[in-house]
Amino acid sequence: MNDAQASDNAIVARAIDLVKTYGDVASGSQVVALDHVSVDFQRGRMTAIMGPSGSGKSTLMHCMAGLDKPTSGRVFVEGLEVSAMNQRELTELRRTRIGFIFQSFNLVPTLSAEENILLPLEISKRPIDREWFDEVVDVVGLRNRLDHRPSQLSGGQQQRVACARAIMARPSVIFADEPTGNLDSKSSAQVLGFLRDSVHDHGQTIVMVTHDPRAASYADRVLVLADGSIVRDMDHPGYDEILDVFSDEGEKDSGAAADDSEARA
Amino acid sequence: MSPVVTIGVRDARAHASRFVMSIVAIALGVAFVLGSFCFRGLLDGQVRKMTSTNADGDVYVQGLVTEDSDDSSASAEPAASSSSSSSDDDTDSRNNIDVSLVSTISAVDGVQTAVPARSLDGVVLVNSDGVAASSMTGTSANAMSEEYRWRSAHFVQGGYPHGEHEVALSSDTASSAGLAYGSQAKIVYPSAGVQDVTVTGIFDLDDSQAGALVLGLDPDVVISELQAQGTSTDTIPRIKVYGSANGGAALTEKQQQDLADAINAALPADSQATAVTGQSHRDELNKSYSKQLGFIQPLILIFAVLALFVGSFIIANTFTMIVRDSMRGYALLRSIGVSPGQVFATVIIQALLLGLVGSGIGVVLGWGIVEAIVAILAAQGTPFTASAAPTVPIILLAFAVGIAVSLLGATLPARRAALAPPIQAMNETTNPEPPVTRRAIGGIVLALLGGLCWWFALAIAHTSDTAAGPTPWPALNGIGVGWPLGVGAGLLVVGVIMLAPALVRPFGAVLGWLPAHAFRVTGRLAVRNLSRQRRRTANTAAALFVALAIVGCIGVVTSSVKASVSDIVDNNLQADYVLVANSTRIPEPALEQIRQLDDVADVETTSVAMGVKVSGVPDPMPVFVTDRGFADTVIAPDSWEGDFYGTLDDSTRVVVGETTASKYGWHVGDTIELTSDGVTMAAAAQQAQQQAQEAQQQAQEAQQAARQSSRTATYTIDAIAKGVPWSSNIWIDATQADELGLSDALIKPSAFVTFRDGTDTAAARGELESIARPYYTISVMSHDEYKSATSSMVDQVMLGMYALLALSLVIAIFGIVNTLMLSISERTREIGVLRAIGTSDRQVRGMIAIESTLISIMGTVLGLVAGVAAGAEIRGCYSAMGLSVLSIPWLQLALFLVCSIAVGILASLAPARRALEVPVLDAVASE
Repeated sequence: MNDAQASDNAIVARAIDLVKTYGDVASGSQVVALDHVSVDFQRGRMTAIMGPSGSGKSTLMHCMAGLDKPTSGRVFVEGLEVSAMNQRELTELRRTRIGFIFQSFNLVPTLSAEENILLPLEISKRPIDREWFDEVVDVVGLRNRLDHRPSQLSGGQQQRVACARAIMARPSVIFADEPTGNLDSKSSAQVLGFLRDSVHDHGQTIVMVTHDPRAASYADRVLVLADGSIVRDMDHPGYDEILDVFSDEGEKDSGAAADDSEARA
Repeated sequence: MSPVVTIGVRDARAHASRFVMSIVAIALGVAFVLGSFCFRGLLDGQVRKMTSTNADGDVYVQGLVTEDSDDSSASAEPAASSSSSSSDDDTDSRNNIDVSLVSTISAVDGVQTAVPARSLDGVVLVNSDGVAASSMTGTSANAMSEEYRWRSAHFVQGGYPHGEHEVALSSDTASSAGLAYGSQAKIVYPSAGVQDVTVTGIFDLDDSQAGALVLGLDPDVVISELQAQGTSTDTIPRIKVYGSANGGAALTEKQQQDLADAINAALPADSQATAVTGQSHRDELNKSYSKQLGFIQPLILIFAVLALFVGSFIIANTFTMIVRDSMRGYALLRSIGVSPGQVFATVIIQALLLGLVGSGIGVVLGWGIVEAIVAILAAQGTPFTASAAPTVPIILLAFAVGIAVSLLGATLPARRAALAPPIQAMNETTNPEPPVTRRAIGGIVLALLGGLCWWFALAIAHTSDTAAGPTPWPALNGIGVGWPLGVGAGLLVVGVIMLAPALVRPFGAVLGWLPAHAFRVTGRLAVRNLSRQRRRTANTAAALFVALAIVGCIGVVTSSVKASVSDIVDNNLQADYVLVANSTRIPEPALEQIRQLDDVADVETTSVAMGVKVSGVPDPMPVFVTDRGFADTVIAPDSWEGDFYGTLDDSTRVVVGETTASKYGWHVGDTIELTSDGVTMAAAAQQAQQQAQEAQQQAQEAQQAARQSSRTATYTIDAIAKGVPWSSNIWIDATQADELGLSDALIKPSAFVTFRDGTDTAAARGELESIARPYYTISVMSHDEYKSATSSMVDQVMLGMYALLALSLVIAIFGIVNTLMLSISERTREIGVLRAIGTSDRQVRGMIAIESTLISIMGTVLGLVAGVAAGAEIRGCYSAMGLSVLSIPWLQLALFLVCSIAVGILASLAPARRALEVPVLDAVASE
């Protein structure tokens, strides 16, 4: 892998030899969250990052999204080096290239659903594509909820508004952090179906962190992290296949599964 | 130590940085409280020291109390006279006593010396460079001689002054006037004019006079000046007695009492005099001075209340933040069996510590401020020797106030900490705000009641008869304007503060229109954020509201005073120049010289006779002497009832002002009886003057003359005049003044000079100035100068207010900063989300600045509206007393508004920095 590939058009985001450590080396209380991870994310695909608590899956996503700074290694989004950006450049990156969906508390409580969806565009003073808005609203099924404030929406509806907001700006990549973590299974299915549709119908790129095998089964690709390294990289795995990985997770030496840490098209 | 205390103290230590603002606010409030008491104590102490030197007699013999006199009401000076001439103090009014009693008293056993009190007002000392010495604390010129002893004065150079060319000065006076023993100087007497003098004595006084100038004059000089002023010299206010029991030293209180008893026994039954101990005389003086200075303390206390209100609010906010952050800890404590009461205690202990520290700093700060003021005053020539140190009870009071306010602020958050169920404590939810409707209705009711009071005040101010007043109860109609005005203002302020939360939304909609359009997202967010916690927003704005209401009100009143004066000068004043005396009166010789100038067509003066008794009026009141010329060239009334000009020319009839007439229920056709009291006995004085060659030995005869010359005359009220300055007071003419024997006793603070047509006014002004110059104390002013002289006095009042405004702005900024800090800490995640989806740092700063500015504009606008309304109300109530024109200082108000925007932006800086300090990831992940 070399730098030239970083601007490869098929690849939206790329991490190179990413290391993230927390704590103090001197005091010996150091924790390695990411241990020399390199990974590419392809355009127009939905990638799920899985792993047990403390595996580094959230840290990986945060570093990819510029929310966290890696200790060493480099992160590129659309060929731009995120890991070297200052605050102003990061803001610009978030406005134009990246969308976010968080586990909860995604919405600004003082704004209506519609205002929340349009917020990223308005903040960056970009023109609003009304047709696109209508389409997104219809897909997430919030047409008659647009005037409602977040407090008047159910958790599932709130997450759908958050998805609509992320998609509305048509970013290069959407990072979703446990988007269904707080939802019941019916709402989860709606949100995940909607995300998958946006990938298949509109070529949206999504990177999603989840610990839920059901959610991961919606993805085109599933990465499994353990102890700061990618231990599995599965293409279109079925629900059972994912379950299997986790069922023997405990018994296997995590290093053994790292055979195909290289990116696949 | 109980674990509860341990936790409380450790929490407090951990939160120390968050307490900074609370501590500052408490410290400021406590400093104001303590400072106001210290300052009061300082003034009282200084007054005591001064009276112990000024009034150092062992016994005083004085007249009997005639009537209890409160403030002489409705005796407003005409607007045309600029300097106040009130020289009478607030003590009980007493009759004067005969000078002849001095010899009676001197004969009493145990009396060393009996000294008649003789001193002059309005004397000006001019040093060798021609500069008039002046002092904030005034000038006193006393008769000093072997006979007129002053025990507290000790000559260090020279001795008693002899004759009209000598003067003795206190050493402080000499140094502040730049004079020394043997220096040449001038003294300007109100009546006798300028006299060249040599400093022939320098004396030390036992105590500093706080910068007051103290002159000693030959008693004969004092007597002849008093006579020239038309004041009786045969009667005096009191006689000072020194006892001999201690070989000339001050007597003990017991000895004083014994001596007073002995003197009382010796006083003739018809003497109308009584002897009191020196101590009781001094106590009476101290009390009356304290009362006069008393207004300063409430003024400072208003700002103390403001600071403490904001302080308690800041504390409540701070503890809300702390409690919110510590909820998990409390939940843990609760889950291991700590009782709600114990959780409550851990929070309250922190408030207690905070109150202690804040109060401690406040005590030091308040004391320091007063000491700094003392130092500044000393540098400006008003040295204080009394102590400004707070007494123990005052320090305890200051601590009590500080701690009480801290506990008050912390109680609600502490209660929340104690009572929140652990599960809710874990789960941060936005509690919906309780409705503000009930509070708003209460506020509206109070505000309406306030409005009613104001309407009532206006109605009684404009009704001439209590029987025909706005209510069927004459007693209520006669209550006066002050009470309903003040109560109405209080109700309105409280009402608006209660109503304010309900106003937040409409205010946001109106004021937020511009930012919501200029900054689409951040503007809209900011406006909506304000409505989330409307009580908090409104309470934050309340500090500014109160401060700006005070300032706005004073702004309107001062501006109206200026406009009214301008209006009078522009529309009425026909005279070309105005002469204003810097002391109380323009010396008579100067007026005489001006009258003799070729170009002068007319000289009019405002002429006041003090202390005339009027039938049906309890206290002696000033009576104005006037004529047609004054009405023609200076100022005519706006309107009148009856035959105004005919009455002016007729010496059997008098003009009465509308306010005065309504106060005493006089109508056209009524008669009143005027009595010139023994205080001002011109005719007698003139007789006495002729006999004065043999000085007071002749006093007996003169006294006889004085008795006879206490004159009474009855006049018909044949005109009731309206308009400044005619509305108040009684107006008689020169013939009547002669009849009453007042003519030579008139105080003339200003004069109005009209030139003949075609006079070169510039040259004529030169002549006037060359006449005025040797008197040092007369200013010659054109119309514009006369107007601006009035304005500059008014502006000085305003300047003091600006200083207090600046302080309250600082406090208000603290309040806004604190509220924003709280609001931002509550919105950590929301701001995190906003930033994660691409809101730039600038936009976050902008959003917070808009919130902050809207709060400050809301407070300012409400305050200015209330203040202008109050100012207009006051103007309306006192329109008859000179506030004929309502003037709203729009430019000034606009300036306040601009300031409030600046305050808003300034206050947003620190909270915005705090909001952006949190990394996006932490903000988003925070729970």
